[in-house]
Amino acid sequence: MSVVIAYLEFVGITPSQPVEASAVTGVSGAPAPVCAALLDELWRDSGAAAYGLAQAEFSRILESVAAAQNYGLAPGAAASRRHQGDFFRSLRLADLVLARACANGHEGAWEHFLALYGQPLTRAAIAIAGSETLGRDLADQLYAELYGLTTREGVRRSPLDSYKGRGSLLGWLRTTLAQRHVDYYRRTRRELPLDDPSDGFDPPAAVSEPQMPASELSLLSKAVEVALHRQPAEEKFLLAAYYLDQRTLLEIAPLLHVHEATISRKLRRVTGDLRKQILQNLQRLGLSKAAAQEALGVDPRDLTLNLKKILQSSLPEAFQEKATP
Amino acid sequence: MNSTFQLDLHPDADSLNAFAEQALGVPERERILAHLAQCSRCRQVIFLAQQAAAEAESPALLPVARPATSYPWYKSWSFAWIPAAAVAASLALAVTLHSRHASPAPEMAVNVPQSELAAPQPVLQEQPHMIATHRAVPPPAANSTAGYARSAENRELASSRKPSVEISPAAAPSAEPPSLSGTIAPSAGESREASVPAVNAVPAPLPLQAVETFKSEPAVTAWQQKQRQMSNTLSSNANTSQISRESTFKRKDAARVSRGGSAYAAAPRMTTKSSYTNTFDAVSAQPRAKAPALRATGNLKLPSGLAAVSTATAPHLILEIDLAGALFLSSDSGLHWQQVASQWTGRATEVRVQEGSTASAGEFELKNDSGSIWVSADGKSWTAK
Repeated sequence: MSVVIAYLEFVGITPSQPVEASAVTGVSGAPAPVCAALLDELWRDSGAAAYGLAQAEFSRILESVAAAQNYGLAPGAAASRRHQGDFFRSLRLADLVLARACANGHEGAWEHFLALYGQPLTRAAIAIAGSETLGRDLADQLYAELYGLTTREGVRRSPLDSYKGRGSLLGWLRTTLAQRHVDYYRRTRRELPLDDPSDGFDPPAAVSEPQMPASELSLLSKAVEVALHRQPAEEKFLLAAYYLDQRTLLEIAPLLHVHEATISRKLRRVTGDLRKQILQNLQRLGLSKAAAQEALGVDPRDLTLNLKKILQSSLPEAFQEKATP
Repeated sequence: MNSTFQLDLHPDADSLNAFAEQALGVPERERILAHLAQCSRCRQVIFLAQQAAAEAESPALLPVARPATSYPWYKSWSFAWIPAAAVAASLALAVTLHSRHASPAPEMAVNVPQSELAAPQPVLQEQPHMIATHRAVPPPAANSTAGYARSAENRELASSRKPSVEISPAAAPSAEPPSLSGTIAPSAGESREASVPAVNAVPAPLPLQAVETFKSEPAVTAWQQKQRQMSNTLSSNANTSQISRESTFKRKDAARVSRGGSAYAAAPRMTTKSSYTNTFDAVSAQPRAKAPALRATGNLKLPSGLAAVSTATAPHLILEIDLAGALFLSSDSGLHWQQVASQWTGRATEVRVQEGSTASAGEFELKNDSGSIWVSADGKSWTAK
């Protein structure tokens, strides 16, 4: 009997619950209420009582987070009790409670927030903006935004409501600062005059006679485009970060949670695979092997390829860039 | 794709942050990664956030003003050697001074040859009245040991060496008094011993009576008395040494002549206090015996406070010239002195009983520094010869 109970607990079914309740979300996606015992445990661990957050309100916060993330599962997948418990325990509940209390305007929570994150936020803003003046302005602007000075339909809106506790609150603040800074930069860059030399446009290359016929160059461009489209997401990210954004191996490695040497090996492998795929694509397009090999030796400047455009063209319509106002 | 993606077209800050902190599940991570591969804006956001986190973890690279925790230059470790060197120098100085301070103890315990230490002893033996004189001096304390101004350490050293050497109190003319039994001659006494004439090199131990007498005396007093006794003895013994060396003066005291001989053989070692005493001779044994005794007790003093360089003794009269050349006359065996007015030219250097005159006659001669001689019968009135 005990073995059966242990197995049920392992798969997320407690003996006090009926088996039917093991799947808390169905296809409809409506999250079931959090188990009372688990809710009490999470409520005590989060320190929500310090900010006057009752269990009922705490439960609503958890349910909203679970509904937004579907317990960390793929959309439409059903989460068992075990998945539910694991998902809630993986959340940074203390940060989540603090963020929601601040969004609700709790004075004690704001004092605690400023004591914890006041200076780190300013330092992060200065690091992101690259200037102390700009950084402090950026931090002050975010403070005002976090405090809920922005109203929408007569209701104070705080970005802290969007924090869901999966990462640290400080990391979320840094990312939010970076988003504000990038959006501001991109918006202001579009407003720069055309004759500004810092607009990022390279001068046109000198026109030279192409070494290959235009038909073969067109085949090459198509082969490269197809090869890039078939690359997995991680390889695409590596190529874009390394070759387009000119990021270093040291900057890329932490994002993929691997060592920079691993990134180097992956890049070498990806470029090798790309070359093979391009050769195969060229042969499929009717070129001989020798002609395909010769086509790979063409000057890249002869190609009318925009790698950035190729990568972005793979985005669905919903992922087109849209600067946050 | 969740609602966050569909609403904002970009992953929200929570998703990007969770991706950077490896807090996403595999499906959502793949979605975010696919978006990052195609969205330069989100890549820029995530790299900027990561850069800020990296700079926050390395405080040295932070451009913000941190709380001032810098210490003044004198608190740095590079200056720690200064107090360390001072402490080391102090210790070295203390050790050096301590060793120098403690080093005299073994010197004080040096055993002085008994022949030298006991040299003046016969003087005490031959003048038993000195014992009475010493006894007349009241002891400063019942236990004379307490009267010594010696450290306990030196007393222990002295007592531990007590059986080794026995010396007479006269052989310890140190600034520090000798031990009760007169066993140890301090080192300072040794140096003084060299200047003290070893007239009587009698190795015999001091008579018990004399030892006991010195035991009851204060140490300093005994030393002072011994100094005076030695100076007096010098003058008297100088006369006797003069006898042995067949000086030009006659020996008037038969007793002292009979006590000459081998005991005074050591007289040539003596460096007498002045050459004047070598040219004169004592006349009477009795008064001369009293005068040294009085000197030994400290009662025989010239009013000038200077030492006598020349003495002439006749019955009931003593004439002495001090270092300043003043002539003093005593008619009560040196108890009281009166200065004789100068009736001669120059500086009086010698006074003596006139040669050929009897002791009862008491004719004196006075010689000045130019060699002129004046004579007097009573010592008061002087006429040029």
